[in-house]
Amino acid sequence: MSTLEETALPQRRAAPAGGRGRTRGRRLPFALALPAWVWLAVFFLVPVLQVFWFSLGRKPGMYGTHSNDVLSLDRYVEAFSPTFLTVFASTLWIGVVGTAICALVGIPVAYWMAVRAPVRWRGLLIALVLVPYWTNFLVRTIGWQVILSREGWVSSALESVGLIDQPLGLLYTRGALLLGVVYNYLPLMILPAYVAFDRVPSALIEASKDLGAGRWRTLTRVTLPIAAPGLVTAGALVFIPLMGDYVTAEILGGVRGNMVGQMIAAQFQTAQNWALGSAMAVLLILMIVATAVTFYAVARLLLWPRRLARRVRLEEVSR
Amino acid sequence: MISDKLAHRLLAAFAVVVLVFLFLPILVIFVHSFNGGRLLVSWGGFSLDPYLAVVNKPVVRDAVIVSLRTGAIAAVIATVIGTLAGIALATRPGRWTLWFIGVLVLVSVTPEIVDAVALLPWLVTLGTDWGLPVFNDGTVRLVVGHSLFAIAVVTFVVRSRLVGIEGDLEAASADLYATPARTFWKITVPLALPAVLSGGLLAFTLSLDNTVISAFVSVAGTTPWPVYVFSAVRQGLRPEVAAVSTVMFVLTMFALALVAVVLRRAGESTSGIARTLAG
Repeated sequence: MSTLEETALPQRRAAPAGGRGRTRGRRLPFALALPAWVWLAVFFLVPVLQVFWFSLGRKPGMYGTHSNDVLSLDRYVEAFSPTFLTVFASTLWIGVVGTAICALVGIPVAYWMAVRAPVRWRGLLIALVLVPYWTNFLVRTIGWQVILSREGWVSSALESVGLIDQPLGLLYTRGALLLGVVYNYLPLMILPAYVAFDRVPSALIEASKDLGAGRWRTLTRVTLPIAAPGLVTAGALVFIPLMGDYVTAEILGGVRGNMVGQMIAAQFQTAQNWALGSAMAVLLILMIVATAVTFYAVARLLLWPRRLARRVRLEEVSR
Repeated sequence: MISDKLAHRLLAAFAVVVLVFLFLPILVIFVHSFNGGRLLVSWGGFSLDPYLAVVNKPVVRDAVIVSLRTGAIAAVIATVIGTLAGIALATRPGRWTLWFIGVLVLVSVTPEIVDAVALLPWLVTLGTDWGLPVFNDGTVRLVVGHSLFAIAVVTFVVRSRLVGIEGDLEAASADLYATPARTFWKITVPLALPAVLSGGLLAFTLSLDNTVISAFVSVAGTTPWPVYVFSAVRQGLRPEVAAVSTVMFVLTMFALALVAVVLRRAGESTSGIARTLAG
């Protein structure tokens, strides 16, 4: 597509002063992005930078929310209180376990949808995943509250069968929270994973079969390696928002299922300590980045021997 | 070793179970929207009363109106800004696009809670400290909050529609002596239109759903529907929450079906539509 563009580019650089009509036509598209630049700078970049700035300040007395008269890292020290560390650890646990379950459940489903299910069903199947995805997050979560509550479906069903003799307290447990996040973020795993599997050229799968590889071998040697980057993206798309989740925890988690998001929210909404809340938000971002980097490094390290082995084999084949 | 056929069957069965699982809470909400009891969770017989709350209860009605109004305004703003940015990205490749896409990705992946706690103090700074009273207005605050992710979505949708096809046609148009403005209106805009419409509808539904940012930035008097529901969770939800949610659900699905039809008409493939709708 861009051969024309590329040849036009040096021309424009060669003639900076002349040909005003032409340069205007070329420059116009860049100006088109200006509103977006300005809007996102003013309402996203600057506010996020302000969070970093506030995290270095302090709460001045009872009624103030923040003050940056003395800059220090004290809020970060304060943030590392035992309560915070506990919640931090449990958030990380929910994040990692939740993402892992989403992957274990979502990737096979996406694989089936993209590769194994009849082609004429695919549109319908995607629609079936998209409907829950686009249903209000809050409403879906409340649906689980109705299912899991003492008067809810699960409890009364078990009671009427006679398996239990008193209402079951499933709600407000860590298990309920885990179920909630897995449910809420599962479409975010299935949809990108579907796209990743869909992009694997079917010719390669056919070729693998023609060369005598079984379905399992084709899957592990052809389909999965090609889809892998997309699957990793899917994992990140689940993990990042999951770590910052606060709605699911608020509705299903109760006291035993606290997440960092709730602690941050409390600093802003009830404690009115913006400095501490900002420091917690920065720590949350750092924790997400650190976990993602660790995961990536570990995955590369684990796959390295396999890759090395395969590269050698490939070279032998080509020789 | 299980046979291929059995493995295939098991996989298909598993997928069906997962799809049912995905619909379970939605079904529950739908059923409980006809709950005649006092509380949402405990069933008190079939009734249509919850649906009347939209008309009868001013708090509920106002919250829905705030949501719809905010959604419409946020969608228009996000569509205008995002469309222009999407056209720029598709037609003007260069080093700046890396930075720009970087910012858009950052906007998309930042956990909502971080956006929320960043925006609240900033709006207070703008409104109170800098004396810009417009940022004390509830609707303005909600629109600003909802526009961020929506702009990123619209930009990506428009960009992926135009990238590849637009450049050649634009060049052809220029070769045929069309002025840049004429090319823009006669080639670029009609080509982008399906994506613009889809992006706008997505932005609208995103705004309707937004809870976290809304909960932080909204001010008394302009409470959108999700914030009303979220703050009522603690006191015990009433069946009307399910009823209004069902109505909103139908509205969202209608918008999404429209997006799918528009994209299909524009010649988009199934997986292309899926990619667009997956955000």
